[in-house]
Amino acid sequence: MSKCKTFRGGYKFVEFQGQPDDTLEEPFIPSQVNIPLLQGFGKEGDCLVKVGDKVFAGQIISRNDQNVSSPVHATISGIVSGINKTNYFGKNCLVVSIKGDGRSEYQKIPNASSNWSQLSKESIEEILYISGVTALGHGGIPSRFNSSIIQPDDVENVIVHIVGSEPYNISPRALFHKKTTQNLFDGMEILHKVIPKAQIYLAINKNKNILQGLDEQITKYNWLKIQYLKSKYPQNHEAMLVKTVLGQQFPYGYSSANIGVIVLDLQSVLHVYEAVAEGKPFIERTIALCGTALKKPLHVKARIGTALDDVIGSRIKPEIVPRIILNSLLTGAVLNDRSLSIDKNYSQIIAIPENHNRQFLAFIRSGIRSDSYSRSFMSNFLPIAQKTCDTNQNGEERPCISCNYCEEVCPVNIIPQILSKYVKRSIVDETLANLHIYDCIQCGLCSYVCPSKIPLAQHIKEGANILMEQGCTPDQCILPNFDNIKGVVESYRGIKEV
Amino acid sequence: MGVIRNLLDNMDRAGEKNQLIGKFKPVFKAMDGFFYGTDEVTTTPHILDHIDIKRYMSVVILGLLPATLAAIYFWGWRVLVVIAVSYIFGGMVEVAFAITRKKDIHEGFLVTGLIFPLILPPTTPLWVVAVGVMFGVFFGKEVFGGTGRNPFNPALIGRIFLSIAFPSMMSVQWQTPFLSGLGGFLHYQNGVDAMSMATPLGLFRSQGTISSYFDLLLGLGSGCIGETFRIGLIAGGLFLILTKIVNWRLPFSLLLSVIIFSFLGNHFAPAKFAPPMFQFLSGGLLLGAFFMATDPVTCPMTKAGKWIGGILMGFLVVLIRSLSGYVEGVMFSIVLLNVFAPLIDHIVLDIKYPKVVK
Repeated sequence: MSKCKTFRGGYKFVEFQGQPDDTLEEPFIPSQVNIPLLQGFGKEGDCLVKVGDKVFAGQIISRNDQNVSSPVHATISGIVSGINKTNYFGKNCLVVSIKGDGRSEYQKIPNASSNWSQLSKESIEEILYISGVTALGHGGIPSRFNSSIIQPDDVENVIVHIVGSEPYNISPRALFHKKTTQNLFDGMEILHKVIPKAQIYLAINKNKNILQGLDEQITKYNWLKIQYLKSKYPQNHEAMLVKTVLGQQFPYGYSSANIGVIVLDLQSVLHVYEAVAEGKPFIERTIALCGTALKKPLHVKARIGTALDDVIGSRIKPEIVPRIILNSLLTGAVLNDRSLSIDKNYSQIIAIPENHNRQFLAFIRSGIRSDSYSRSFMSNFLPIAQKTCDTNQNGEERPCISCNYCEEVCPVNIIPQILSKYVKRSIVDETLANLHIYDCIQCGLCSYVCPSKIPLAQHIKEGANILMEQGCTPDQCILPNFDNIKGVVESYRGIKEV
Repeated sequence: MGVIRNLLDNMDRAGEKNQLIGKFKPVFKAMDGFFYGTDEVTTTPHILDHIDIKRYMSVVILGLLPATLAAIYFWGWRVLVVIAVSYIFGGMVEVAFAITRKKDIHEGFLVTGLIFPLILPPTTPLWVVAVGVMFGVFFGKEVFGGTGRNPFNPALIGRIFLSIAFPSMMSVQWQTPFLSGLGGFLHYQNGVDAMSMATPLGLFRSQGTISSYFDLLLGLGSGCIGETFRIGLIAGGLFLILTKIVNWRLPFSLLLSVIIFSFLGNHFAPAKFAPPMFQFLSGGLLLGAFFMATDPVTCPMTKAGKWIGGILMGFLVVLIRSLSGYVEGVMFSIVLLNVFAPLIDHIVLDIKYPKVVK
């Protein structure tokens, strides 16, 4: 067994109440779906259908081979009932509504076969693109159809990770429902066939016994390396994966694709396998429903485009006012509008109670169920007890006392409290760039641990935005350290979780 | 529980009607937050750690508890009165500032109010305690902008002010502790005849005698109220380090450097420099190392800065104890460490983050 690698800083979230159990509820076919054409990685493609058209599940409704984009499919069979321009997560895009006829069959991808090892590289590449799977990952899976900002030849490394480091994670056992470990290896071999030059890494949690006999299996593949990691937040972030698995510097604020690294999670690789070996277009997503506001946290399979309300509406405890969060409790967006539809990026939907309740003398309670970075609660000495999880701030905002918790947990080695103090006093200049403000990956851990409840991550984001307006951009601070930047260079800040 | 709620609600209503009572709003607000916590909810991240400043400060008080209880045993019930005076008069300055600034009352004072009495000699008159704590909170903290902005440890500023203003009270009269039976738990204060027993450091300076280490650990000698029960201080300090409230780097490097420098000094000039273990176990070093030098606001904030600061301070402690006119140097060393902290941090940051953009 190879050595377990990790990074400096970070924090391990353990045993929160409301973990989803491994059961996977079979999919239901919704009567209507609203499919945003802008989803996953890439730009919006051309809409290929009109209102009134009859469509099949699995039929491509949007495609553009010139743009950096991947095809989008109709996810149920039925009739196109509307095409509207809507604001979807802050971006304007077309949303195609389909009224379904209730049938669950879907159109298979032509050429795909279970005998995929006989297929040529070109045809596998085409199958991947047509299935829409290439939209997965932070930078997309490269193909000759412009599905990523880089070309297949630019890829040097592929990291497949099964690392759950969030408070709530999708369970690999649920993802392996009706599948075997062999399918995962097949998925990776397919990737290897498409990108033969790249080294593929499999990064997994040290104490996940989900993959039995892994070390024996791995010896069959000489292009594959395995790396054990600790389940410490934010290990699942692509920057931390690149740093720990490859030991390379990461161009913070840019995509890992820019240094020729493709980061994919378990579900993406299984999608790859399904597309090529089973001919299944990317129309379904397994989603973990987690959190204490749900009656029973579990996993569901849902067609892309299903309204959020159809998925979780009836599962929320009626007496609770929930906050519904996409993917991550620390960085995720709030899903206030339950008519929004599921898209390719969903992997967790978290519902936790909005807690406005005041607790009497909370600060001198033993806190068996209170999670804390400091070890000042009983929970740190009784790790068996499950921790509560709600939105209460657990204290008033106070001035910074320089306790330095934020520096200790920061995974990218910056000192959030100093940056925050500068930004709060509106002293924003090159000093902040010199203090590596652009290294921040917005994991939110500094805000989480702060005993003074200062929104440090938010201050850093504000500071970075002001600094960029002043003309001191990440191009000057980050890019000069990398001599081999690939593809379209587009910096992004903020939430971009897969 | 309901009683407090009713009281607070009534005060709130009274404050709305009466302008004078209304001015005390920060006090009610602080009480309200103190008892009931907050109803505010998070933005992003959606969950937050359960620790807050109140918890942070109460853990420090918990760490000081063994030494405080032992102090009552050694010096009598008067210790509690001294602590009460310190809290009341220091709290008044805090409240006055909160009212004039129209800001919340911050919990940092909870620790200052307890540490200040612990570093006073047991015989300090109550009015001197009041003057000292008011001076400390005023000039050590509030004039700089309150909690989080003070360059110096407020309790120490008060103590140094008293040392300079009332030198005889602060360094000449030392009480002998109660040592038999229930000791101070049954008495208010030791009699006048039990006065003027020199501290172990003073004895070394004047006669060259070295007290037994066992006596020093248990606090059988004389000294300031809270500094003598050293087993309790070590236990409390380790407790704080275990709970991550105190960063281990500063106390560790400080104690290590005291031992190393006193070993070197003792090796070359044994008449001037006391042996390492004696220095380690005497005076206010342990109280200072675990509870005062580590005050996060005033000590260097970077990790490397904590190492450097600890070593520097240890050097100063040994130097002042051995070569200056004072027998105890911890107090001045901590303030000097506070003075140097920004400079140390500045240098550390410059080395850690070389200039990327000019």
